[in-house]
Amino acid sequence: MASTSLEPLVDQTISVITNDGRNIVGVLKGFDQATNLILDESHERVYSTKVGVEPIVLGLYIIRGDNIAVVGELDEELDASLDLTSLRAHPLKPVQH
Amino acid sequence: MLPLSLLKTAQGHPMLVELKNGETYNGHLVNCDTWMNIHLREVICTSKDGDRFWRMPECYIRGNTIKYLRVPDEVIDKVQEETVRRSDRKPPIGTRGRGRGRGDEGRGGGRAGGRGGYDDGYARGGGGRGPRGGKSTGRGGGRGRG
Amino acid sequence: MAGRKETVLDLAKFVDKGVSVKLTGGREVTGTLKGYDQLLNLVLDEAIEYLRDQDDPLKTTDQTRPLGLIVCRGTAVMLVAPTDGTEEIANPFLQPDAA
Repeated sequence: MASTSLEPLVDQTISVITNDGRNIVGVLKGFDQATNLILDESHERVYSTKVGVEPIVLGLYIIRGDNIAVVGELDEELDASLDLTSLRAHPLKPVQH
Repeated sequence: MLPLSLLKTAQGHPMLVELKNGETYNGHLVNCDTWMNIHLREVICTSKDGDRFWRMPECYIRGNTIKYLRVPDEVIDKVQEETVRRSDRKPPIGTRGRGRGRGDEGRGGGRAGGRGGYDDGYARGGGGRGPRGGKSTGRGGGRGRG
Repeated sequence: MAGRKETVLDLAKFVDKGVSVKLTGGREVTGTLKGYDQLLNLVLDEAIEYLRDQDDPLKTTDQTRPLGLIVCRGTAVMLVAPTDGTEEIANPFLQPDAA
């Protein structure tokens, strides 16, 4: 199903990368024309090369669309099989304007 | 559910707003509009690095400078209630945007009484809001982002 | 349609009072609000700009420079707050158990 809308992702867990380089994972509860998003039960995944991925609980979030770089569907099964505590990665840099 | 509906519903509730410049504002939402411009009351402003803090009685923030808003979890349940109530009165969804804007004036009174409980609840969890601020500030420093 | 929505904040109550304004790009000014319009263009009298850190232009310092009577362009206005009651405070989020 070809779609340019986020509608199919509503009530699914999604992963968002923001312009400041944060990765936020949560359940998409709503969106609008400007790609403003409502994320419920969201958490941020903080990546570093020193320690494993640190999830930070954020709760209910409204993210402004003009601050969003990427919205992706999250394969919950695959995601659950990841051992985040042993995952090391460089944090993303913010978008350069 | 529209993000701006959630924001509307969050009126009277405490929230955290981060601006694109990294400053954060903790305060109670007084009002907002379709551009996401917001008016906060009893505000605590935290600098980008989380090292300086200001208290201000109120402030107006232009919507396009906002990065994200963090709202209390219970607000999302209220939206559903209000959507149902609204659709009872106003079936045509297409006109909702405008209808909502005007409807506000009428709802103002109800809000003061009706949502007071939520407010108190969240305020009591004020400790809960504290750590958040702490966390976000810690994050700012810890990650050393420019 | 213009005026489809009343403004979120009625600036009338700030007229002839001190306001603090943050502008996109990082400038910060305070002054007495003499006038405004619906686009949030502001007229400030006896305006003072807070100068910024040489190394980090997003940080303001306590150094100021007087600007006099100015117009702040609405599109550049990020934040408006009354100066009355605004003060720098100690970290209000510190927890007892914080190390």
